[in-house]
This record gives sequence, C-alpha cells and structure tokens, in this order.
Amino acid sequence: MTALVHTPLFGLLLTIGAYRFAVWLYQRSHRFPLIQPLLHPFLVAMIPVITMLTLLGISYREYMDQTRLLQFFLGPATVALAWPLYRQLTHVRAVGGQVLVAVVVGGSLAASIAVGLAWWLDAPADVLGSLAPKSITTPIALEVVKLTGGIAPLAAGAVAITGIVGVMMAPVVFRLLKITDDRVRGLTLGIVAHAIGTSRAFEFSERAGAFSSLALGLTGLFTAMALPMIWPWVAELLTK
Amino acid sequence: MLDGLLLLLLFQFLGEVLVHFTGLPIPGPVAGMVLLLIALIFRASSLHRVAPAANLLISNLVLLFFPIGVGIVLEWDRYSEYGLALLVSIVFGTIAAMFIIAALLKLLLRRPSA
Repeated sequence: MTALVHTPLFGLLLTIGAYRFAVWLYQRSHRFPLIQPLLHPFLVAMIPVITMLTLLGISYREYMDQTRLLQFFLGPATVALAWPLYRQLTHVRAVGGQVLVAVVVGGSLAASIAVGLAWWLDAPADVLGSLAPKSITTPIALEVVKLTGGIAPLAAGAVAITGIVGVMMAPVVFRLLKITDDRVRGLTLGIVAHAIGTSRAFEFSERAGAFSSLALGLTGLFTAMALPMIWPWVAELLTK
Repeated sequence: MLDGLLLLLLFQFLGEVLVHFTGLPIPGPVAGMVLLLIALIFRASSLHRVAPAANLLISNLVLLFFPIGVGIVLEWDRYSEYGLALLVSIVFGTIAAMFIIAALLKLLLRRPSA
C-alpha cells in the first residue's frame, strides 16, 4: 500500500487534484477583489501538496520525478503561445511600431531593475540569472534560465510572485499616474506581469486584454532572444 | 485536439532542429514558437487546428510549472541566505518597474488612436 504513494500516479493525482481545487476557490473568490490575487491557484495549491509530501515523506526530487509528465508539456505550451500572439497581431497592426518600442524598452527595464536590485543586495550569479526573466511567462522563463545559469524553482516562483504583486499594484499605479487609456493599462500589465497580468487586463476591458496578450507574447519573445545573448557579458560585469 | 497537439510537437521539434544546426542562443521551444507564428501568418487557415490544444495548455500553465515552482518552498534552505535580495527584487522591483513602464507608455501613447 505505501508503495502506491511513490508512483507517478499518486504525484499526478495529488497535483491535478490540488490545482483543480485551487482554481475552483479562485473563481469563487471573485466577490473579494482585494484579496483575490492572494488566492492565486499557484499559492493555494501549494498548501495541500506540501502538506501531503511532508506527511508521506516524499522528497522534492521524487515529486519532480513523479510529475515529469506535466513538466514535459511546458515545451509544447511555449510553442502554443504563437496562437494568441497571431490572433492579436492581426487586431492591433495600427499601433505596431509603438507597441514594439514599448516591449523592447519595458522588457529591458523590468529585467534590469530585478537584476540590479538583487545585485545591489549581494545575490550571487545563479540567483541573478533566475531573476532576470521574472517578468516573462513561465514556460519561456524556464527555458531562458537554462541559458543564464539560473535555478528553475527560483525562476518559477519569482515569475509567479511577480505576476501576483503586479496584479495587486496595478490599480494603485494607474490611479496615482491618472492612467485611463486601456492600451497603456494592457501593455503595462502584459510587459510586467505576463499571463497573470493579462487575465487582470481583461477585467479592465476587452481592449486592455488584447494589448496585454500582445505585450505578453512579444516581451517573452524579445527577452528569450536578447537575454541569452547578452547574459554572459552582464554576468561577467556584475560578478567582477 | 489531437491534430493541435501533433502540430505543437512538430513545431517544437522543428525549433529544436533549427537551434541545433544554427547554434542560435535561443531555447528550442521559443524557436518553434517563432516558426509556428510565421507559418500561421503565411498559411493561416490550415493551421487553425492548433487552437484547441494551444488554448488548453495556455489556460492551465500554472498546473504545468507548479511542480517546479513548489521547490521554492520545499528547498527554501538553499535560498534563505538570499531571502532579502529575492524579496526586494521581486516585490519592490515589480512595483518600480510597473510605475516606470506605465509612466513611459503614457508619454509614448499620448495621442489617442482612433
């Protein structure tokens, strides 16, 4: 009987079950917009999973082995991002030039601020490499950290928390800066807070959501192209 | 659904092949994403079958990376030394980036388009 908990079947059942419950809770929490971001499925699903793993004495390494099937689909999911990107490209061709400038400048800024702050607080190179792609969507970020010498769990956690913080702060930032333009709202959320920000952008309006999904796809693409190329140079500069 | 999955796997494979032979410093699946985007632009309608599988994967991204992400808690001992740097970079870095990028975009897109 105890052998059963050491199979992929158990790991997948636990993970998909916990995730399904967390999604249900998140959808039910719509009535409490202020705390809803804190009930994000990534955070809520951790509670049952970590409790069970600890009680049953399953190590993180073994759990990773059990759930290899889910991780495999991160590759096809990255390829799949071409689909929403293609759909949005045809919609917003009119302001394409400005969107491109926004993505290149914004994507570079988000990565530089993250790396700069951690560097200033003496984080070592592998931690810096994990934080650099924190504003881009997780499947791409997890590919990028392989090329920047980062640590996968750190990058996945950093990306998720970035999205949650971004979504909580967005209404405050927009109010303080008196931003009512849905293009600016959407692009900001997509550039800084990736997919989590994009689902929030759709709550502002359909238009904000369209701009956000465009920014999410393009920022991911731009960062995946640029970061691995300049990283060796950045890492050398910062660790001197 | 199966056709969509087949297309995604095919383009991921083509992306890996491209990266292998050109030595481009980009991840294989990202190259696959670019190839699929180009293919969609040029041969759009026949590739629309990718949609059901693509939407299923994208709407459940959290499930796919969850087992990796849980490591930040389960292996916290390895990272606790850099806890402050992580907290400042992730929380304050995100807030700062949001302020600066929103302000810049407000200037950049000042003229409202029709």
